[in-house]
Amino acid sequence: MVSVQAPLISNLDAWLNVALIRQYHENLPRDQARREVLASLDRFGLGAVADRRISSLDDQERFCIMLLRAAMVKRSVLVIDRPFQIMPDLQDVRYVGRSLKWIDDLYEECHIFDYVWMKDQYGALHGEEH
Amino acid sequence: MAPILKTLGNPFVKNVLSAQETLAFAGVVISKVFSRRSYNSATKTVLVNQIYFTAVEILPLFITVSIIFGSLLIGIVFAVIKDLGLAEYLGSILMGFVVTELAPFITVLLIALRSSSAIDAEIAVMKVNQELNTLSLFNIDVLDYLFVPRIVSGMVSVVLLSWLFSILVLGSGMLFSIFIFGMGLDTYVNALINSTKFSDIVIMLLKCMTFGFFITLIPLRFGLRASHELTSIPVAVLNGMVKVFIAIVIIEVLSLILRFI
Repeated sequence: MVSVQAPLISNLDAWLNVALIRQYHENLPRDQARREVLASLDRFGLGAVADRRISSLDDQERFCIMLLRAAMVKRSVLVIDRPFQIMPDLQDVRYVGRSLKWIDDLYEECHIFDYVWMKDQYGALHGEEH
Repeated sequence: MAPILKTLGNPFVKNVLSAQETLAFAGVVISKVFSRRSYNSATKTVLVNQIYFTAVEILPLFITVSIIFGSLLIGIVFAVIKDLGLAEYLGSILMGFVVTELAPFITVLLIALRSSSAIDAEIAVMKVNQELNTLSLFNIDVLDYLFVPRIVSGMVSVVLLSWLFSILVLGSGMLFSIFIFGMGLDTYVNALINSTKFSDIVIMLLKCMTFGFFITLIPLRFGLRASHELTSIPVAVLNGMVKVFIAIVIIEVLSLILRFI
C-alpha cells in the first residue's frame, strides 16, 4: 500500500523504513537489509537520502521510499492510492510510471486508484506496460 | 452521606478499574517479553537504539548527578553515623539504604523524567500521524515492535544505572570513610561485604526490573490513548507521567513492606 493513509515512520531513517518489512517478517540481518535497501534506493538515484529522516525528504523522495517499502513484501501487489495526494506538485503520472519501471522486478502487480475526475492526469500511462 | 460516597466512589472505582486494566495489559506484555517470537532483526534494532537512548545518552548527566547528589548524601549519612557513634553499622546502613533503596529510586526518577516522557510523546505522535496504522497495514505487531524493545530496554537500563549509581556513591563513601573515620580501604570493603545480604540484592534487582517495566509500560499505554488530534499529545503525556509517578511510589512502598515482613 502506497498511500498518505500509511505514512512513513517518522522516527526511523529512510532506509530503515524500507528495511523494516523484511527485518520484521523475514528476520533479515540489519547489515544485509541495509545493503539490499541501498541497492534498491540507487535505482531511483536516492542512495544519498538513505540515512536521512523522513521530515527532511521532499514529496517525490517520500513516494519512492513508500513504493520501495511496499515492494519489500513477498510477492507484493502494489496498491498506489491517489499518487497526486502524496506528490501534490506532480504535473502528470509519468514519474509514477518511471518509478514503477525501475523496480518492476520487485513486485507482481500494481494497481493505482484515484478519483474519476483525475482521469486526465493518467493519460501518459495509456499504452504503457503499467 | 450518599452523595459524598458517590462523589468519592466514582473516581475510586475509575482508578481501580484503570489499575486493573493496566495490570491485565502488563500480563499480556510480559508474555510477549518472554516469547522468542517477539524478537527479530527489526525489534533487536529498536532494542539496541532504545538502550542507547535510555542508558547511554543519559550517562554524562547521570554520572554528574550521582556524584554530586550521592556525595552530599553520603557526607550527611557519615556525619550522622559519627555523631551517633554508629560506625560499626556503617556497612549495613550503606548497603541497606544507599544500594537497595536510594540507588533504584534516584535512577528511576531520572529515567522517568527523561525517557518515560519521551516514550509517551513518541507513541502519541505516532498515533496522531497514523503511523500505527502503517504498522498494522504491514502486519507488524505493535506490541512486538514498539512495546517489547522499549520495556526490555527500560528494565535493563534501570538495573544497570542503579548499579552504576551504587558504585559511584560507594566510591565517594570510601573517600568519606578515609577522611572522616580514618578507616582503611580494606576495613571499608570488608564492612560492605559483611553487610551484603543475598535477599537484599534480589529485592533490589526485582525492584529495579519492576520500576523499569512500569515506567515504560505506562507511557506506552497512555501514548496509545491519544486520539488523532494534536491537542491529545500533551494530555496523553501529562496523564501518563502522573501515573508513572504514582506507580513509582506504589512499587517503592510495596518493596519496603516486602523487605520488612
